[in-house]
Amino acid sequence: MYLLRLALASLGNRRFTALLTVFAIALSVCLLLAVERVRTEARASFANTISGTDLIVGARSGSINLLLYSVFRIGNATNNIRWDSFERFAEHRQVKWAIPISLGDSHRGYRVMGTSTAYFEHYRYARSQPLQLRVGRTFTDDPFEVVLGAEVAQALGYGLGEQIVLAHGVAPISLLKHDDKPFSVVGILARTGTPVDRTLHISLAGMEALHIDWQNGMPARGAAQVSAEQARAMDLQPKQITAFLLGLNSKIATFSLQREINEYRGEPLLAILPGVALQELWSLMGTAEKALFVVSLFVVLTGLIGMLTAILTSLNERRREMAILRSVGARPWHIAGLLVVEAFALALAGVLLGLLLLYLGIAGAQSYVQAHYGLYLPLSAPSGYEWRLLGAILAAALLMGCVPAWRAYRQSLADGLSIRL
Amino acid sequence: MSQALIELSDLGFAWPGQAELLDIPAFTLQRGESLFLKGPSGSGKTTLLGLLGGVQKPQRGQIQVLGQNLSQFSAGARDRFRVDHTGYIFQQFNLLPFLSVRENVQLPCHFSRLRAQRARQRHGSVDQATAILLAHLGLDQPDLLERRADALSIGQQQRVAAARALIGQPELVIADEPTSALDADARAAFLQLLFAECREAGSSLLFVSHDQSLAPRFDRSLSLAELNRATQLAEI
Repeated sequence: MYLLRLALASLGNRRFTALLTVFAIALSVCLLLAVERVRTEARASFANTISGTDLIVGARSGSINLLLYSVFRIGNATNNIRWDSFERFAEHRQVKWAIPISLGDSHRGYRVMGTSTAYFEHYRYARSQPLQLRVGRTFTDDPFEVVLGAEVAQALGYGLGEQIVLAHGVAPISLLKHDDKPFSVVGILARTGTPVDRTLHISLAGMEALHIDWQNGMPARGAAQVSAEQARAMDLQPKQITAFLLGLNSKIATFSLQREINEYRGEPLLAILPGVALQELWSLMGTAEKALFVVSLFVVLTGLIGMLTAILTSLNERRREMAILRSVGARPWHIAGLLVVEAFALALAGVLLGLLLLYLGIAGAQSYVQAHYGLYLPLSAPSGYEWRLLGAILAAALLMGCVPAWRAYRQSLADGLSIRL
Repeated sequence: MSQALIELSDLGFAWPGQAELLDIPAFTLQRGESLFLKGPSGSGKTTLLGLLGGVQKPQRGQIQVLGQNLSQFSAGARDRFRVDHTGYIFQQFNLLPFLSVRENVQLPCHFSRLRAQRARQRHGSVDQATAILLAHLGLDQPDLLERRADALSIGQQQRVAAARALIGQPELVIADEPTSALDADARAAFLQLLFAECREAGSSLLFVSHDQSLAPRFDRSLSLAELNRATQLAEI
């Protein structure tokens, strides 16, 4: 106990270096825990992106590609699929519900998705949570109505009744705008923390109406143009869509229906199980995530080595201190113990300050991170895993404290009571 | 019981890889005696003090302190024996600057149960002993106890160091040039107080210095050069 008092008093005497050391450790601990939390939450929110959907069906390509464009709104479909293929499987006896998805347009960098009202009814995310409207309603018969994801509405400052113009293609800056057919905002969805927040939802009829007068990927000119009013009167039944989501009556049928779709002779289709594809995708990203973790571990190691350096550097100036302690009866192992206690105290203070920084950081950045990255970082007590990490850091500090302790032990044996300074 | 506190016989010591530094055929310090040991720097006095404190072990010969042969003790037992029976005062910077005056004085009591016990027996408590010793040494300002040691003047620091050496009445006080950083007046005053306190505690005083002018105040005066055959040989 008295050793602790001596170690703390001695550290207090060197408080500037001690504080710097503690701060370095604290920052590294904070970084490690932050990376750990973001990692855990990213994985959870990733797995939460889609739920309740049994099969995702699109044109035949790779399963990850299909998952990316149909669920994450990343990348593009290689091919569309025919409406009659969708109809055929939507009416399959095993199928409970089907959501068509039609992609390809955008609005100021946010993807536009054509779909049906079944989407609002059946799409689930996280733990089977349905989509909810924050304000307004879903689109109805009028083709030029749009329902915004939460982030789109917030970032662009749109409210109900806003007239917006969609752009052709998905580039952030598009030269081709559908400015002859503006859409009006009729509803805004509640926040989900998934790509839904970054999507503008229109009806399939609206999607069809936008492109009804287009020829060969170019808008019509002059007399060939169809106005919004004219379009409303036309047959807006889509001929093709990009993908569709299926919910089945029974999970058991999933594999047989998947096979049936994959072997469909009408056109080449691909059906994937979202859970399996998510797993595959995560294993790809997992490498980066592990690398991040390893990097932050090394940062902690750097912090501890900084501490080791600070203590070792101080040893020489503290020979007098050691000799005085020896002269009043401290044995060499007392001296060694003093240094181990010192290392442990520095690391403990660093860990505690690191935790404090982490919670301050989370409290400060929580809403920003949620708004911009869709990650919810909870202000929860450290998990068992995090406690183990912190314990390992303290153990490493103890182990490192043995290095100066051993040196001081040797030094105090050699110096004895003489002070050679 | 023998009156000798320290008895050296046929002592020989050399640092590893060096010629023999100390070769002392015989040396005795009586209980309660104050001895002036003259030794210029480099004469091996620090080494001799190390040997007496049991920090180093002689290659040959015997060191008896309080009738015990130090060479027979383990390193840990020598450390314990040292703090139980010896108080040290060094040249300067004797104190741990980051502790208060009180904590500095009480340091030996944390490492020696015997010293703490004796301090309690004599003055009631360790705190009491601290205050009384400091007052005897002329440090009786009430706020001084809790001041940081490095806030004191050198003269005050040396008196705090003396109090630390004396607390718990060790049989032996070893002072290694404790007055060299003091001016003449302070030196005389310091010695006076040190003698008085050693007498009061019944401690022998082994005082090492190169300042011959202090010698007459002691019971006995010796030169390390006379004592040590090794340096005599080296000088020839």
